[in-house]
This record gives sequence, structure tokens and C-alpha cells, in this order.
Amino acid sequence: MDRETLETLLIDYIDGRLAPEEKLQVEQELVNNKEAYILYEQLKEVIHSMERSSKLEPTAKLKSSFDKLIEEEIRSSKKNKTIFFQPAFYRVAAAVTLVVLGGGIGYWISKYERQQQELADIRKEMQATKNMMMTMLDNHQSASQRVLGATVALKMERPDDEIILALANAMNEDSNTNVRLAALDALSKFNKEQNVRKILIASLTTQKDPIVQIALIRILVEIRAQGTVKELQRITNDEEALKEVKDEAHAGILKLS
Amino acid sequence: MKKVFAAVALVVFITGFIQAQEYKLAKSTGRLEIKEVNHVEIEGYAGNEIIFTSRNGKKDDDERAKGLRAISSMGLEDNTGIGLSVVEKGGVIEVQQLKKMDGPDVIIKVPKGVVVSYSHTSPYGDRVTFKNFEGEIEVSTVHNGVVLNNTTGPMTIKTVHGDIDASLSPNIKNPVSIISVHGHVDVAFPTTLKANLKLGTVYGEIFVDPDFKIEIEKTNNMVKYSDNVSGKLNGGGLDIYLSSTHSNVYLRKK
Repeated sequence: MDRETLETLLIDYIDGRLAPEEKLQVEQELVNNKEAYILYEQLKEVIHSMERSSKLEPTAKLKSSFDKLIEEEIRSSKKNKTIFFQPAFYRVAAAVTLVVLGGGIGYWISKYERQQQELADIRKEMQATKNMMMTMLDNHQSASQRVLGATVALKMERPDDEIILALANAMNEDSNTNVRLAALDALSKFNKEQNVRKILIASLTTQKDPIVQIALIRILVEIRAQGTVKELQRITNDEEALKEVKDEAHAGILKLS
Repeated sequence: MKKVFAAVALVVFITGFIQAQEYKLAKSTGRLEIKEVNHVEIEGYAGNEIIFTSRNGKKDDDERAKGLRAISSMGLEDNTGIGLSVVEKGGVIEVQQLKKMDGPDVIIKVPKGVVVSYSHTSPYGDRVTFKNFEGEIEVSTVHNGVVLNNTTGPMTIKTVHGDIDASLSPNIKNPVSIISVHGHVDVAFPTTLKANLKLGTVYGEIFVDPDFKIEIEKTNNMVKYSDNVSGKLNGGGLDIYLSSTHSNVYLRKK
């Protein structure tokens, strides 16, 4: 039996984990082999000492000092967490701050909502005005209604593109001169807008109504719109233009140059 | 006996005379478009038919034309017996005269629910007159003058060469837009009227009765493109625009 197998067997024998035949075999070996016996003694010593050491308890002193350390640790950490609210004053202050903050946020939200509501109302109102205006401008039965439509637009603060387009259409296409003039009047109020200026200049080319032509020339000269002079020169050479319109165009060129 | 006979004959004659010169159309709403009728007076009344009457009499009664009908190059037909063609197309009644020049002198009585549109371009007319009319008026002429007598509007009046003389009823309806290019614009209404007033001229002058208290509008963000006077009468209200490009604008109290 080689030494390694013997060792394993001996360890198991000491632990009492061997089957009866193996146990018998090991005991025979121990009787017959002196080396094996020495080995057995050594192993027994080692294993017993290992068992003893595993049962070693920490000393009472060590334990108490350790517990103390933990307690201290717990106490110190608890102290850290509560220190802010320790005086009652702070607690009250915190509560008040919370209430004020909550109230403030609530007020702000409600105010915001109210503003949103107001904005929505204004928008709705504007939409209603706009719809009314569009319907009026589109009333083919009554020129007065169309004039009123243009007057409504005149009272608006800021027109949107749709309104401007409707007014431009009225100015260029309406069968009634009074309506055309009212639309021109409304458009000229918004002459700060680039697209309105473009529409006014473009109308100079297409406008066939001499009364509107004259009013248009006067407005364009007044606001000094870009490209007016070129259009006016074209009108002065236009065979179809009325004498009065040409005169106005000449006067305009003089004022602008 | 002779007298009675004569009286009966006269009555029959007069009735026939009047009937021959009248044309009625049962209509109290819609739109009446009068085009190129040279001599016409429109009168408002509380009824429900439009009544066309000729003031000419039967002076151009033609024996030879008996049994024939009058037509014109424009395809018009005298369906009224007074030299007018009256055709209704979907709520719009078109009135035209057959003759190019002269033509009948017509009075049209119109219920107030009807919109009256008068347009005229030829140089053969004189003026169109509106009297006591409470409906909406649209006038567009080139040479004809316009006379408005006790009308309420709403009205849009435009003429190129004609004069406009208007005496408006106290219950004016929005809007009033009166424009002449070469003629004067002479308008009268009560000083108590609440209105947004705009008076304009380019080469003429503006005259206003001193009893009108006009609060002139600030023009810092408005375009001032001509000699326009923009202002409020009694705090503002109706939109009234009076303008004459080459002649004067007169505003009188009524």
C-alpha cells in the first residue's frame, strides 16, 4: 500500500468514515507496519488539533468591546440623521416652508391654468371674429357686408396669413369699388408686414379699378415700399391707364426720387 | 247723359293708361339689380311686391308695332310693357332697359327686405334717386349722379363723375361708404349719431358743420396716406366713410 492511499485511508479511519472491511484492513496495516502507525499517530494529532481550534470562541473581552463599537457606530449614525430637525423651531420652519412652497406652486399652477384658459378664450374669440369676417367678406349678396368684413379686419391687432389673403383677394377681385377700397384700407394698416407690402406692390400690376389704383399709389408712395418707382414708371407708359392714374403715378415718382 | 258717358270713358281711359304703365312682381326679399337704366327713382314702401311704373305715358305708342314684341341686340325682351326687361334668376331680379339711349323714366317701389343694386356706366343717364328706402343699397355709376333722400342703408355708393347728395335717415345701419372721384359728396345726418367717421379727399376740401364734435384719432400707428380725417362721433359706432378724390366733401347736420 503506497503512502498516499494509506494517508487517505488513515484520515477516514480517524474520522470513522470507513466501511468495516476497510477498517479491518487499516487496523491490520497499523499492527503490521510501524511506519503506518507513526503516520497514524501524526495524523491523529493534526486532526484532533484542527477540531479543537474550530471550536475556539472569542474571548469575552473581545466580544464586549466589539459590541460597544457597534453600538457607538449605530448611535453616531442615528445622531447624524436627526440633527437637522432636532430643535422644534426647525421642524416648524420646515413645515411652514413646505406649506408656503406647496401653496405657491398650487397658486402658480392655477394661475398658469387660468392664463392658459384666458389665452384659449382669446384665441377662440379671435377665431370667431375671423370666421365672422371671412363669412362677411364672402357674402356675394351684399357689398355692405363685405365692406363690414374689411372693417372688422381693420380693427384687428395682428392679422394672420389667411386674413391677409382674403383681404388681398377682396382688393383685387371684388366687383364693388367700396369693398376694394375698404380692403385696401385694412391692408395698408398692416403695411409693416413684408408680405402685405408685396401684395400691395403686386396689386399695382393687376389692379383695374382706377379709384383703387390711385389710392394704392398714394399708400405705396407714403410707406416708400421697395419697387414702387419701377411699377409707377410702367404705369406712366401704360396705354390703358387713365390719365388721372398716370398723373398720380408721376406725382409719386417725383415724391420718391 | 253726355257728361256721364264722357266721365265713364275718361275713367276707362285712365285705368287703361295706368295699367299699361305698371308692372308688379310679388317679391319682398332677394336682390334687385338695376343695370343701365338711365332714369330711375327708387322708393321704399311697406308692401310685398316690387312695382315698376313709367312716367313717360304712352307717347311712343306705335300702331305699326301692334302684335309685335320689342327686342334688343342684347337679347332683352320687353316683358313689362314699359320698355324694361325684368328677369328673375335664383333670387336675383335683373332689370334692364331695351333702349341704349334715353329710355323710360321709371319709378320702382321696393319693399324694405330687398337689396337694391344699381349699376350704370353709359353717359346717357342723369341721376338715380333713392327715397325713403330702408333696405340695403349698392350703387356704382360712372356718369350718373346719386341722390339719397331719407335712406337708412347699409349703403355702398360709388360714382366716378357724378355728384352725390345724401340726406340720411336718423336710424342709419352699418356701414355707410360713399365715394365720388370727380363729383362732390354732400351728406347730412343728425349730430347725435354715434359713428366712426372717416372723411377723405385728395385735391378737394372737407367742410363739416361745427355742431359735429369729432374726436380726431391719434395716428401714431395708423397710416396717414391722404388728407383723411379719421375720428369718432359721440364715442364711435357706425362705420361711415365719405370721400371725394377731386372735389369737396360736405357734412351737414340734419
